[in-house]
Formats: sequence, C-alpha cells, structure tokens
Amino acid sequence: MKQSLRFRIGFPLLVLIIIIPMIFPFLWMFMSAFKTQVDIISWPPKFLFSPTMVNFNKVFNEQNFLLYLKNSMIVGVGSVAISLLLGLPAAYSIARFHQKRLSVMILIARLMPGISFLMPWYIVFSRLGLMDSYTALILSHILIALPVVVWIMSSYFESVPLEMEESAMVDGATMQRAFVSIILPLSVPGIVTATTLSFIFSWNNFMFSQVLSMEKTRTLPIAVYNFMSYAEVDWGGVMAAAVAIMTPAIILTMVFQKYVVKGLTMGAVKG
Amino acid sequence: MKRVLVMLLIASLSFALFAQGASEAPKAQQEIRVLLANHPYGELLKTKIPEFEAQSGIKVNFESLQESQLTQKLTTEFATGSSTVDVFMTRPLQEGLLFIKNGWYAPLDTYDFADYPSNSVDIGRKGNSAFIVPLITEWQVMYYRKDLFAQAGLKVPTNFTELEAAAKALTKDGVAGFGSRGKGAAAVTQLSSYIYNYGGLYLDKNVAVFDSPEALEAIRFYGRLLGTYGPQGVASMSWENLMPVFQTGKLAMWTDASVFYDQVVDQTKTAIPAANVGVAQLPKGPKGDSPFIVVSWGMGMSSKSKNPDAAMQFLSWATSKEMAVEAMLKNIPMARNSAWANADVRAKMHPGLIETQAHAAKNGYPYDRPFMSAVGQARDLIGEVIIESINTKGTSTKLPALAAEKAKAVNDLLKADGEYGGN
Repeated sequence: MKQSLRFRIGFPLLVLIIIIPMIFPFLWMFMSAFKTQVDIISWPPKFLFSPTMVNFNKVFNEQNFLLYLKNSMIVGVGSVAISLLLGLPAAYSIARFHQKRLSVMILIARLMPGISFLMPWYIVFSRLGLMDSYTALILSHILIALPVVVWIMSSYFESVPLEMEESAMVDGATMQRAFVSIILPLSVPGIVTATTLSFIFSWNNFMFSQVLSMEKTRTLPIAVYNFMSYAEVDWGGVMAAAVAIMTPAIILTMVFQKYVVKGLTMGAVKG
Repeated sequence: MKRVLVMLLIASLSFALFAQGASEAPKAQQEIRVLLANHPYGELLKTKIPEFEAQSGIKVNFESLQESQLTQKLTTEFATGSSTVDVFMTRPLQEGLLFIKNGWYAPLDTYDFADYPSNSVDIGRKGNSAFIVPLITEWQVMYYRKDLFAQAGLKVPTNFTELEAAAKALTKDGVAGFGSRGKGAAAVTQLSSYIYNYGGLYLDKNVAVFDSPEALEAIRFYGRLLGTYGPQGVASMSWENLMPVFQTGKLAMWTDASVFYDQVVDQTKTAIPAANVGVAQLPKGPKGDSPFIVVSWGMGMSSKSKNPDAAMQFLSWATSKEMAVEAMLKNIPMARNSAWANADVRAKMHPGLIETQAHAAKNGYPYDRPFMSAVGQARDLIGEVIIESINTKGTSTKLPALAAEKAKAVNDLLKADGEYGGN
C-alpha cells in the first residue's frame, strides 16, 4: 500500500519532469504567437496577457503565406510520391537480394552535406531554365525523401516472411504481382511511417529551397525569415509563422502516430 | 557488365538533359531580376517598383531575403557562373572585397558618384573602377535613459572616464549600467570605435595590429565595463539580446549602431516612454574621437547581367536623389550628401540622429571591422579575445599573448588571400 502511494505520486511527477523541458519551448512559442512585441520581451515573463491576433494577421494577410503553404505542400507531396514510387521497389529488392552495398550508397547520399549538391544542381537547373519551378524543388527534395523511404522499408520488407511471397508464387503469381498484391498491403504501417517521416523532412528542409526557389516557389521554412530583417526581429511574427508551419506537421504526425511507432520498431527489431 | 550499362544509361540521360538546356529561346520583353534585403529600404523599393515598371517598360522580378540568406544565395549563384541576378543589395564591408576580387560586380564607370562622400565610394573601388553604390550608412551612438540620468543627477558622459563613472552609478535596482555587444564575432563591430578612441586599429595597411598596446587597452576597458556593469550573460549577447534588455528598462546605457533608434522608441515594441530615451555620440577616448561610420548597405550590378542597360537604369532609379530623400523621411539614413542637406528631411528626422551623424561624418572612421575577404573568420578570432576580456573584467594576464596569437592568425588569413601588407 505504501509503495503504491509513492508510485501514485512519484510517477506523474516523473512524467512531468520529463515532459516539461520538451513541451516548454512549444508552449512558449504558442504563447508568444499571441503576444505583442512588448509582452514578448517583458521581464519577468508574462504568463497572463491579453492575446492579440496581430501576428497571425501579419502572417496570413501581409505575407503571402497561403502561397508558401501551397508550395510546401506541392513539393512535399510530389517528392514523397516519387520517392515511394522509386523507393518501394528498390527497398524490396535490397531486402530480398541482400544488396547491402547499394543500400549503403543510398545512405551515403543522405549523409553527404546537402550543400555539396547545391552548386551542381544550381548549374543544371538554371541551364535547363527550371529555376523557380516545382520540378527543380521536387527533384532536389527526392534526395531527402528517398533514402528515408528505402532505409525504413528495406528493413520492413525483411520482416515480412518469405513464405507469404512463396505461396503466392506457388499459386502462379509473378514476383512483381506478389510484391504489389501481397507484400505492399502487408507493409502499410511501414509505408505510412516512411511517408510521414520523409514528408516532415521535406517540409522542414531549408537549404535546398533557399537556393533553388524564388518568390513564386518559396517554401514555408524560408518564409519564416521574412520576419527577420536587418537589425530587426519580429519575434511575434516568427512565432506565429512557426505555429502555422508546425500545425500541419503535428496533425499529420498525430493521425499516423501509431503507425509510425509500429513501423519504426518493426524495422528496428527485425532489421 | 550490367554496371557499365547502367553508367552508360545515366550518362546518356544526363547528356540529353544538358542538350535541352542549350536551346532556350530568348525573351522579347526586357526583364531583370533583382535581389533585395529584408530592410526598410528594400520594403520602400518594393512599393515603388510598379512605378518604375510603368515608366521604363522593364519588368522587374524581385525577391527579398534576410541578409545572411542573401549573401549565401548570391555566393552560390555567382560561384556557379550561371546566375540570373541583375541588380542586388550588398553589404560592402562584409562581402564587398570578396565579390570584387571574384569579378562578380560589374564596374559602374558611367555612374555619377559626385553626391557621395568619397571614402564611402572608395570601399567599393578597385583600380579605377567603383563597383558598389553606397546606399545606407550607420554609425555608432550611445542610447541612454534620460530619466535614470536625471534621478542620479548625472550628465551624459562625454569621455570614457565619465562613461565608467556613470556606468558604476547607474548599476543598481536590477538595472545594468552599461551594455554593448559581448558575443565574440558580433562584438567586433561595436568594439571598433573604442579601439579607435584609444588610438588603435584592427588593420593598419592590411596588417593586423589589434595586439598593439593601444588596442589592448581598449579591449581591456571594454571588457571591464561589460564584465563589471553589463547585464548578466553579456558575453553571449548580440544586438538582438541587448535591445530587449534596453526596451524593458533594464539597461541605462547601450552603445550600438544608429540603426536601432526607431525600434527603441517605437511604443509598440518598447516598454519605456520615448521621452525617456536619449541618443548621444559615443564618448571620446583618451586618444581619439572617431566612432565608426560605415556603409552598411550598397547596391551592385552583376557582371554576368544579360541586360546591362536595363539593370543600369534600375540601379540609377533605385539609388536616385529622390529615392534617397523618400528613404530619409522614413528615418533610413542614406549615404547621399544631398539627402542630409534636404530641408524636409532635417525638419522631420530625429535631432539626435542628425547631430550624431554630423559628428561621425566629420570625425568618424569608415570601417567597423577588419576590411578583408576572410572577414568572417577574422571576426571569430578577434571575438575570442573580446570574450576573454569580458570574462575576466579586463584583467586577464593572458590577453596580450592571446591577442598576439590571434593577430598572427588574421595575418595568415590575409596572406592566404594575397591581401597582406601593401596599401
């Protein structure tokens, strides 16, 4: 009884101690988005204040935020879709035929500093007249999304019993057919994980969009910097923009969370 | 065998991609691409660009970026040699030398520089050509709290001895007496005026001399003031950290660039009444009275511009006398002499700014940092000396050795870039 009481008090306390450092920056950001500049800088910090919509008004009315949102969506969805199209068969092949060297090469592409790709890309895309186009951005973001897809999915596919596929082939299916009709449906949790993670990475990418996009195709992470000018930082605007950017990503993660965790652990244990 | 085939396939595909790019049709209407900074002047230009387009028939594609992004984007584009930028805002002291050396600016031989202070044009000059039109200036000032000075019965300090005494007297009740940038590399520009006022320099004839006894004395003084009377954690503070401290009334004196004046008195951003904020010139030092006055922004034209005539037309319009006056009326201090003489401007601009500008224009020094290609690395090196001084309140015995070591490192950087010594 005594121990259980200690547990009942101690456990939530421990949870709080762990959660507060993680949640506090978000809370701070969220509150600041509704504060005036004077309230944001005030010391001691204000936890009670009269909320203002000025910052969100700036984000959505004075800035072209909806355009940036649309751009980020197009680039994210486009690059993830192509990455799935190319990455799923690749991952399957890596898993089934143990092409370890190939998978390492894909990983190296991801590990190389992104900036080393930028110059060649800039040359190629500007010669092709593709600057400020979705094509250039989607192609560059595939570099972010594809390795994530391949790496998560190859370990996932390895966990799918080979017998499933063999029995399909006994029934007369080709290997391709077995992949599409048997393996893919079984791998939905993994695919959802890979999709969510690669979408978020693309959503948050700053460097590629900075150089390859211009006014028309500017993406959200770049747009946050619109609130930082020479010798002035509009913290309220930055915070409101950050809230606006994070919301879709958070919703996406919450919806698919259970898959993400499952997909990650599947890969981790069996990979 | 298979691998060879794959390689061949990749090679042929990419060849096809390049081939397509070569056959691009030229466009009919004149179009230029302009990169602006997130700066009040950039904002002003944006609102005026439609007028320019209507007047000239030139289509202007512009985008504006935060300054470090702007530098990165320009550098990436120019380095690849296939940039489509025609006109851009640029920071002469930060990137000017490098861009000039790489031939990225077009020479502006037809531009009329008569209305500009000659030392502001010289910064962007190499040989007989000038490459940068000076746009915006800033100089060092001291912001102070009139009410706190009145309460303490103090006068605004006019020399460093009075400055230290005032800092001491005003440090009480949770208010720090004195603040200035302490965060290493960021502090280099603000320390510069102190070094000049002690009779020192960062670079003398392109040789690093910030380990001279004069410069060391200045670094010790700066460190003593900040270490003793500065806000807590000042050694990691830049302007974006110090401004809120001043705006919330926790700082009595703050020396930094003139560009922050508007934000310090804007009642939507600050918690102290505008009437309590004063702006004064930086106090004199024992051996000098030369605050920095620099061209913080200029405008340049790309040497790769495919439309040099249209680009020049835009450049002349964007840097015209009329535009300079418009900007001055919005409290943006411009480099053009005529703009400062304009009667409307003098009537409307804050007198503190006009006075301190006049003083700095007459006595000031046109650099606030070591003027060299590797300025970023040099600032990091000098920054270490500044932080050591602040952390020891200016008493560090290691300081001369540390400064000598960093000066040598800066000289090595100068040598590596072929900029050491000479004029």
